[in-house]
Amino acid sequence: MSNPMNFAFLRKSPLPPNGRKVGIIGAGPSGLAACGYLACLGYEVVVYDKLPQPGGLMVFGIPRKRIPPERIRAGVRRMERQFGVVFRTKTKICCSAPLHEEEGDHFSCDIRGLGELVEEHDAVMICTGSWKSRKLGIPGENLAGVHSGLEFLFPIRAAKYASPNVTMPDVRGKRVAVVGAGHSAVDVVDSAYALGAAKIYMIYRRTAREAPCGSFEIDRICEMGAEWLERRTPLRVEGECGVQRLELANGMTGEAEHLDVDMLITAIGEIPTPPFQQELGLENVRKGEVRWLHMTSIENVFVAGDVLTGPSKIGKAVYSGLRASRSLTNWLDLKAQNREGEYRYDEDRIVP
Amino acid sequence: MSCEGKTLFIDYSRCIGCESCEAVCKFLYDTPRIAMTRTVEGIMVPLYCKHCEQAHCMKVCNRGALMRDRDGAVVLQPLLCRGCETRNCILACPYAAFFATDLGVTVQKCDLCASRRDVGLEPACVEMCPCEAIMLVDRDSVPDMETEESRRAYERVMAHIRPPARKK
Repeated sequence: MSNPMNFAFLRKSPLPPNGRKVGIIGAGPSGLAACGYLACLGYEVVVYDKLPQPGGLMVFGIPRKRIPPERIRAGVRRMERQFGVVFRTKTKICCSAPLHEEEGDHFSCDIRGLGELVEEHDAVMICTGSWKSRKLGIPGENLAGVHSGLEFLFPIRAAKYASPNVTMPDVRGKRVAVVGAGHSAVDVVDSAYALGAAKIYMIYRRTAREAPCGSFEIDRICEMGAEWLERRTPLRVEGECGVQRLELANGMTGEAEHLDVDMLITAIGEIPTPPFQQELGLENVRKGEVRWLHMTSIENVFVAGDVLTGPSKIGKAVYSGLRASRSLTNWLDLKAQNREGEYRYDEDRIVP
Repeated sequence: MSCEGKTLFIDYSRCIGCESCEAVCKFLYDTPRIAMTRTVEGIMVPLYCKHCEQAHCMKVCNRGALMRDRDGAVVLQPLLCRGCETRNCILACPYAAFFATDLGVTVQKCDLCASRRDVGLEPACVEMCPCEAIMLVDRDSVPDMETEESRRAYERVMAHIRPPARKK
């Protein structure tokens, strides 16, 4: 029995209901943090998530040996039982990318529009994260056997939800090349190793000391048997029916190299695809040129987490969700008293 | 509730460097009292107050501003700290647990979320660590909680903030 991760850490029990209803889109760290904060203050909170369980990438991206999902599940249950939060899973809110372009979209049974939510709730918070994988932009990257980091990691966590579209990646006995050196790339290497890959290369355009995952992790995976190739940039992917060879530019020698591989995984980051990207005016929110902290150009619609900042850390997403919800409560409170003009935004302009 | 002393214990082998502890502390207090640092080997780890039994900070404070509270935590009395320019505490702490401020009370440090404990809540970082790497414990039980991995990970952190003496 895991101790719950207590998203509703502000209070032991919720304040009495204040008659306001907030919809949160996305049950990842920023959404859950916002949910906990608002639930404590007596808001009726409904959280929508496209996946079958809340947790976002904490549960569906990061390997379970790093974050035990039971703790998050227990925290969610606590909010349901003690704070009256409603979770509507497998529900996708229409977004700017066409459906099925992002990992996990095929889990959704229910699709709703942002406009509907804005009608139904006193405020809406968009916490949809960054789920569209970045591409290398090189020839051959659409060959079979080329996957993004998220495409690789996601099924490992989602397979137990028995969707016909989800199958565990088949790496047993294969030679796998992983491009990238962030925490995600390391997670891919670890997972490929655990699934029985015969040979793993980790390819990065800069050096181990500059790698975001840190030289310690690189030493660790090398000890595990992976091969670290630094200052290499992928140039093209070659193969007939699928990946067979990878051509790399070696930044140290200036020469081209070739690697025989069966699978290529590009763990080079993601981009956010929020619903109604243009109408929300997210660029302005990022720059802080807004009427109210974390509020989009659509009144009562707020935004927090990776959808705003791009891929980040759990902690940064949590902080964003908390700040946005505090801002949301201030907005609704002051608006109810016609006191919006009192908000001295300059003090809050400090960017975390 | 033991009177020997409550403190935090972080199992660095469970910590994934997600920064949630610093995030919630910063949200609650503006100046976080637990701070992430990136070691030379590139690992992100939180540095935190150990509420030491023999606290160096308490010994060097000229204002008597550091005291032990009812749960054995080492807490800062802001009214006594305010206006001090000496800041001996920052230098004396072996764990980088003091944070200089620019206004008003001279420094900030972890008080194990004293105002939350007053109403029966636990420290926020403990509640919100996704990996349960931070725990509120009795100081005496810390050796029981350590494992091979946690000790090795701890040594890596200590080697970063207090590098071992060079061999002659």
